[in-house]
Amino acid sequence: MAQLFSRRATTVFRASLVLGLVAVAGAAGLGYVSSRSDSTWNVGKPAPQPIPFRHDLHSGTLKIDCRFCHVSVEKAADAGMPSAQTCMTCHSQVWAGASLLEPLRSSLALDQPVTWTSVHRLPAYAFFHHGAHVSKGVACETCHGRVDQMAETVKTQTLSMGWCLDCHRDPVPHLRPQEAVFTMDWKPHDRDMPEDVRAFYRAASQRLTSCNTCHR
Amino acid sequence: MRSRARSITTPVAEIPLAPHFGPLWWGGLLVALSLVGLLGLTLVSSLIFGVGLWGVNIPNVWGFDLINYAWWIGIANGASLFAATLVLRRHDLRTAVNRFAESVALFGVICAGMFPIVHLGRPWLFYWVFPYPATYQVWPQFRSTLTWDFWAISTHAIVTTLLWYVGLIPDLATLRDRARRPLAKRVYGVLALGWRGSVRHWSYHQAAYRVVAILVLPLILVMQSTVAFEFATTLVPGWHETRLPLHFVATGLVQGLSMVLVIAMLLRRFLRLERYIDDYDVELLGKLTLASALVCGYLYFDEFMAILLSGPRQQIAGLNRMTGEYAGLYWAAVVYTVLIPQILWIKAARRSVVATVFVGLGISAGLWFDRFSLIVGGFQRDYLPSTWRSYAPTITETGLLVGTVGLFAALLLLFVRFIPVVSMFETRHDEHEEAS
Repeated sequence: MAQLFSRRATTVFRASLVLGLVAVAGAAGLGYVSSRSDSTWNVGKPAPQPIPFRHDLHSGTLKIDCRFCHVSVEKAADAGMPSAQTCMTCHSQVWAGASLLEPLRSSLALDQPVTWTSVHRLPAYAFFHHGAHVSKGVACETCHGRVDQMAETVKTQTLSMGWCLDCHRDPVPHLRPQEAVFTMDWKPHDRDMPEDVRAFYRAASQRLTSCNTCHR
Repeated sequence: MRSRARSITTPVAEIPLAPHFGPLWWGGLLVALSLVGLLGLTLVSSLIFGVGLWGVNIPNVWGFDLINYAWWIGIANGASLFAATLVLRRHDLRTAVNRFAESVALFGVICAGMFPIVHLGRPWLFYWVFPYPATYQVWPQFRSTLTWDFWAISTHAIVTTLLWYVGLIPDLATLRDRARRPLAKRVYGVLALGWRGSVRHWSYHQAAYRVVAILVLPLILVMQSTVAFEFATTLVPGWHETRLPLHFVATGLVQGLSMVLVIAMLLRRFLRLERYIDDYDVELLGKLTLASALVCGYLYFDEFMAILLSGPRQQIAGLNRMTGEYAGLYWAAVVYTVLIPQILWIKAARRSVVATVFVGLGISAGLWFDRFSLIVGGFQRDYLPSTWRSYAPTITETGLLVGTVGLFAALLLLFVRFIPVVSMFETRHDEHEEAS
């Protein structure tokens, strides 16, 4: 009777066992890396916008305060997007006839908001309050990056739940004094927060990481 | 000697190698597969439309999903526990029943494992119960019964598969050697993992088989207790009982034994294996089933006493199980699992196919009634009278139950067709010992 398997069969079988294990480990590793990669979270990827608005020009060069356009950022959950009237404060005079601003003029005429595409949209089950964060000393720059240098607005952070928790578990190193919240490129004069602030956040860490703090 | 040892098990080996298997097998497989189709249909519709298709709603958050899960895992636990005990004790009965006891356990786990996944509601996220480094940086809640399910079922599936497969390797090699078609030779050859039957192989094999069997014993007790604790850690009257793990382990044993008994009798009759599953084996199985049915009776008594000794809310809930809407199921459980098995006291009944199959299937049905009564009864008289509502399964849930029965039957039929139903190497070993 002829041999059922060739001489190499055992080697092939063992090698495929090992390769199978390596493949499983490799797939797990690939999943680990890709789920953390910037492209998975759309970091650095601009969205198509109706008007090519430039933060670098408005915020960087012209030094317009964030709150001039995002009016409710200190009070409400939503930072707020500027109405056409806000834009027209200047653009009724500056670049008044520019074709790029046509969506803005029709927005004003039709009393319809400009349809900006959000690049920082959180899922509906995550509750985020801009006012709460701003009033506790979380700066714009901490989450949105150097917006004053962006020609096109992009995400600089993943905004993943793990990223939120990085700060919620230990907020103190990420906080700024109230006057520095809206500044860009702020260098801390003294890294040490007052002891009463530290004590407050030590006690608060439990409720800052509760499920229902963000998932209500 | 060698040729004699071979010829002993020839009839067993010839069953999986037979070119044709008769219309009865095909008919059975067809029925079973159509039920598997029903299972697929109900699973897919539960996936697409969600668990709203089921009869579960507040306060009856658990219904058929957990009843069927607890029932199937009970069969699997009982059969595993039985098989592992036989291996460790090197009991004579193991040659006859171990192979299909292990198979019953494995197929039971497969049927059971489905329910905790679909009952998640969003089953495609089932891997969230596994502690992996997720980007949301939160570990699974280890106090949640969902994660217990995960560990219980995966552990169960792994050790049961190991016990089944390790016990199968020498027999797969026999099939490889005896197969006539080249494809069958190659398939059995790969599955036999290069078994040549050297002394070293046998020594490793014995050690491995026993190590797995030793692993099974504590794990089964822990896993079955875990299933019971999933109920016991809630506050639902009738569930919140320290006696529940004992109830689940012991009633699971009678469930597994009865299933092994049914299959032993059917295999013996239809495959003419009287020589391998002999009268002594069948008698012993019948007596074991009877003994465990008596233990079951003791547990029902214990349950009754526990109800009497507990608080007023638990008494109301307990008495509701015995006199309320589903009282019929409670009493049917007692009749089927304790009273009817008493006919196994009679020797003729222990040897009769009809009687044992009736008793065995009756015990399985009875235990299902018991799980139903326990799970639904607790909610019917919860602490808040305003939420006293009943539960009735929908057609989708019934389809899931019938579908898993079909899956179990289909797996058994395929097992009978392609794998030796009796452990050939153990039979040879025992016959050899007797001869020398």
